[in-house]
Amino acid sequence: MQKTEHLATRVDVEAGAERGDAVARPAHSWPRSWPLLLLAAAVLPGALLFAAGRWADEPAVQAWRTVCLAVTVQALPFLLLGTALSGAINAFVPARVFNRLLPKRPALAVPVAGAAGVVLPGCECASVPVANSLIGRGVTPAAAFAFLLSAPAVNPIVLTATAVAFPGSPEMVLARLLASLVTAVAMGWLWLALGRTEWLRPAVRHTGHHPGHSRWSEFRRGFQHDFLHAGGFLVVGAMAAATFNVAVPRSVLETFSGSPWLSVLFLAALAILLAVCSEADAFVAASLTGFSPVARLTFMVVGPMVDVKLIALQAGTFGRAFAIRFSAATTVVAILSSALIGAVLL
Amino acid sequence: MKRPLQITLLALSGLGVLHASLFSDLYLRYVKEGMRPLLIASGALLLALAAAEAWWGRKEEAGARSEDAHDHSGTPKVAWLLLLPALSLLFYAPPALGAFTASREAPKTVAEEDHFDPLPATSPLPMTLTDFTQRVQQDREQAIKGRTVQLTGFVTPAGDGGDGWYLTRLILSCCAADAQSVKVRVHGVQAPPTDTWVTVTGRWHPSGALGTKSASAALDAHTITKIPKPTNGYTDAVPLTPLTPR
Repeated sequence: MQKTEHLATRVDVEAGAERGDAVARPAHSWPRSWPLLLLAAAVLPGALLFAAGRWADEPAVQAWRTVCLAVTVQALPFLLLGTALSGAINAFVPARVFNRLLPKRPALAVPVAGAAGVVLPGCECASVPVANSLIGRGVTPAAAFAFLLSAPAVNPIVLTATAVAFPGSPEMVLARLLASLVTAVAMGWLWLALGRTEWLRPAVRHTGHHPGHSRWSEFRRGFQHDFLHAGGFLVVGAMAAATFNVAVPRSVLETFSGSPWLSVLFLAALAILLAVCSEADAFVAASLTGFSPVARLTFMVVGPMVDVKLIALQAGTFGRAFAIRFSAATTVVAILSSALIGAVLL
Repeated sequence: MKRPLQITLLALSGLGVLHASLFSDLYLRYVKEGMRPLLIASGALLLALAAAEAWWGRKEEAGARSEDAHDHSGTPKVAWLLLLPALSLLFYAPPALGAFTASREAPKTVAEEDHFDPLPATSPLPMTLTDFTQRVQQDREQAIKGRTVQLTGFVTPAGDGGDGWYLTRLILSCCAADAQSVKVRVHGVQAPPTDTWVTVTGRWHPSGALGTKSASAALDAHTITKIPKPTNGYTDAVPLTPLTPR
C-alpha cells in the first residue's frame, strides 16, 4: 500500500512539473483524466498483445524467443554468482590482500592473474563483474583483464567438458588450456603497453568499504546494483545471439570448411556470433566435424573471450570505447595464438 | 531507477525463474535437467534480494542521502530489459525448439562405436534415433538387417522435394542455443503435420551398403502413431511408458 501511494505521488509530481503547475497538488489525488487512462491501460495492451501474438507464433519468431530465453536462463545463475562475488570482493576484501597476493610489477602480475583464472568455476558472464571489482580494489587493470579472459576458458569445469566432448584426444584439452592462457597473458601485456585509462569508464561505485557503513549493506547494494546492470546487458547479448542463431543456419557456414585459413576465420566469427556458453562450446566445436582441429580450437579459444553477449556486458561495465577496442584486439590475438599452438600440438 | 521499480524487477525475475523451475517443467524447454537446482537457488536469491531491498533499502537510502555519499540512482535504464525474460517466463513462455530449427541445422554426427552388442529379440524393437543411425552406418555385423524397429521423434519436412520426411530429435549440450539434431528419413507413410510427435515402426530403407557410411539412416514405415509431446523433448531416449494412441 505504501508503495502505491509513493508511486501515485510521483506521477502527480511529475505531471504537475510537466504542465508547469505552480500550485502544489494534494498528495493523494489522481490525474483528472484517470477514467480514460484506466480504459487505455485495460484495452491497449490486450489489442497490442493480440496483434503481436499472431506475429509471435511464427516458427522463426518462436525459435528466436526460445533461444533468447535459453541463453538468459542458462547464464542467470552464473551471472548471480559473478555479481555476488564481485559485491563480496568489494565489501569484504581489503585492497591490501590483492597487493600482497599479486607481484608488485604489473608485468609479473599479469601471468599470475591469468593463471588464477583457474579458480573461478563458471562461464564468461561471471568474470566481467568480478574483473571490474578487482580493478576497483586496486588491482592493475592489465592483470584484471588477464583474469577476465582466462577465467571462463581454463577453469576445471570447462576443461572437463572439453575432454568429454573430444574423447581420445587429450591434446585438444592441452591446446585449449595453453592457447587461452597465452591469449589472456598477451592481452594483459598489450594493455600495459598500449592501454589508456581514459577508455575505461571511471568506476564510480566500486569504491570499497567506507568506514562507518555496514559491510553487509554495502555487499547487498553492490550485488543488487551489479546484477540489475549486468542482467540488462545480458538480455541485450542474448537477443543478439538469438538473432544470429535464427538468421544464420549453421549448415551455410559449413560450406566454408574447405579452405584451412578461411575455416579458422569463419569459426572465430561463428564463436563471436553464436555466444555459446563456455561450458558448452566444446560440444558445439566437436559437432563441427567438417572443420580442421585448428579451426575448432579457434572456436573454443575465441568463444569464451569474445562474443556478442560479452561485448554487451563489457560495454555496460567498462564502457563502449573499451569494449570495442578490447574485443577487436582479443579476437586477433586469440586467432593467432590458437593457430600457432594448434599447428604445433594438433 | 527508483527503489520500488528495482524491487519489482528483482521480484518478477525471481518469480519467473521459480515459476519455470520449481513450480513447472518450463525450464526443460530452454536448458538441461541438471540446471534445476541452480535455477531454484537463483530464483530464491532474487526474491531474497527484493525482500532485503524492501526491508532495509528505505532506511539505508535515507541514511545515505543525509551523507550525500551514495549514488543509488546509478542503475541504468538497460535493467528494464530484464522484464522481458521475467514476464515471458511467467505468462508467455515460448515452446521448445522444433522443426524450424531442425530443418536448418546439419544433422549432428553420431559418435563412433567400436563394439555392438547383439540386439534384443523384442519386435518391434524400441530404439533411439542415434542408436538406429549407428547400427545402420557402423555395425559390420548388420544386426539391424530385416529387423522391425520402433523410433520416436517429431516431424520435420524434408524440404528437398524428395520422397519422405524426417523423424527428428533435438539434443542439447548446454542450452537451447546449441541444439543439434538427429534425423532419420521416413518413407512409406504420409507426413503428419510439422512438429507432431510420433512413434514409427518399420524396417531399414535399403540405400547404400548396410554397416558402412554409405548407408542412409532411413526407414520404411509400416505404422505411425501420434504421441503426446514429452516434457523433456531434448533427449534422444526411448519412451519409458507404454505408448498409447491419443
